[in-house]
Amino acid sequence: MAYYSTSQFKNGLKLILDGNPCSIISNEIRKPGKGQASNRVKLKDLITGKTLEKTFKSGESLEGADVMELDMQYLYSDGETYNFMDPESFEQYTVDDTGMGDAKGYLVEQDMCVLTLWNNNPISVTPPNHVTLEVADTDPGLKGDTAGTGGKPATMNTGVVVQVPLFVSIGEKIKVDTRTNEYAGRA
Amino acid sequence: MNMREELKKYSEFLTTIRQFFSAQNVVEVKTHQLLNHPITDVYIDSIATQVNGEISPQHKYLHTSPELEMKKLLSRGSGDIYQICQVFRDNEQGSSNFNEFTMLEYYRLGFNVHQLMDDIVDLINALGFNSQAEKMSYAQAFFKYTDIDILNASFSELKIIAKKYGLTTDFEWIEDLQIFMFTALCEPKLKEIPLCFIYDYPHQQAALAKVESNVAHRFELYINGVEIANGYDELQDAYEYEQRFISDISKRKFLSKYTPELDNEFIDQLNGSLPQCSGVAIGIDRLLSQIN
Repeated sequence: MAYYSTSQFKNGLKLILDGNPCSIISNEIRKPGKGQASNRVKLKDLITGKTLEKTFKSGESLEGADVMELDMQYLYSDGETYNFMDPESFEQYTVDDTGMGDAKGYLVEQDMCVLTLWNNNPISVTPPNHVTLEVADTDPGLKGDTAGTGGKPATMNTGVVVQVPLFVSIGEKIKVDTRTNEYAGRA
Repeated sequence: MNMREELKKYSEFLTTIRQFFSAQNVVEVKTHQLLNHPITDVYIDSIATQVNGEISPQHKYLHTSPELEMKKLLSRGSGDIYQICQVFRDNEQGSSNFNEFTMLEYYRLGFNVHQLMDDIVDLINALGFNSQAEKMSYAQAFFKYTDIDILNASFSELKIIAKKYGLTTDFEWIEDLQIFMFTALCEPKLKEIPLCFIYDYPHQQAALAKVESNVAHRFELYINGVEIANGYDELQDAYEYEQRFISDISKRKFLSKYTPELDNEFIDQLNGSLPQCSGVAIGIDRLLSQIN
């Protein structure tokens, strides 16, 4: 595997840190008046999702991580694993519950998403920013109510709970922002 | 702000600095920017230039700081002096480091570092940044943000500690590891303090400051975590200057950087005549951007 020196650091570069693949979020060079330069780097651990802050001596090298992000179609779940297909190569990938993370609340069969592979093994799933989900359960709203009066919780067909306006009823399709878990309008 | 307003603001900023010094009878000076010797600092590189190519070619070096030239004036009886000038450094890196920047350098006779730090606070207040200064010794900073006894840890002990913190230990000299650990572990925390002086540096980082009981009478000023100023209770002894220059030159040689010759002219001029004084270099472009 290739090694990258701090001079090659840039946002999005994938490196191995403490055994986990990480992606560089920001990289700042700091040269003290009387000392050597160092790099202050913010990284996202691609497995835990946590943000780390690390300081490297300028010139230090780190092992690169073989990480790829591929567009995939979500096929089906057998309850324990989730199955995806690369629509170009028709190659199929299986992701476990941990790998799915929050994505399992946003994906319905046939949806497209991004699969992150490390050494060709899926480590995380990123749903599109907006998905269309069906309301499976919610309390009945008040007649004539309009948006912006607080809202109520609604359970989607995928199991995720989203705060929706009072007028939304069971069976309706709505748009959800997957980054904030917020209602984004009627579908 | 349009260009004219920006220029006026900068000009007023300089005027306030000049008024501050004038009121205390500190005299503005100009010294040579084109020098015969490059700086000996291990990690500061002079920009070289060749002059008199048509007569007799000679190398000259742009000053990286007016420190040594101003110390020549001090040894000749200048009294309290200050200078605002452009300085030039090669191989600078980072978003707040440049090959050319503006430095305010000043020296106060009879001051110790604490008196000088107080004076800098007065100057910064005069520039409209009204904040109390927090003072922390180098050792206190490490105790506050880590559990490291930085003044008493040997190089090998410090390497073991650095490893525990997940930091590289690939350094030739203890001071480089100390500086790296300060940058990695303490400096990010200083962002939360508007005005912070770090003082009493490990003797290995004395630069040109006096050393007493293993501690260098040196300080740095951080504003919102950004390094702004570096000051010393200035070394007076010419022999000690010579020793520190020789040590720096040998380290540069080890690192395959250019190796300056000893500036005997400076050492001869100093020869026992530099009065006790404290001096500081302030990066005023950074200062202005932080107090704005």
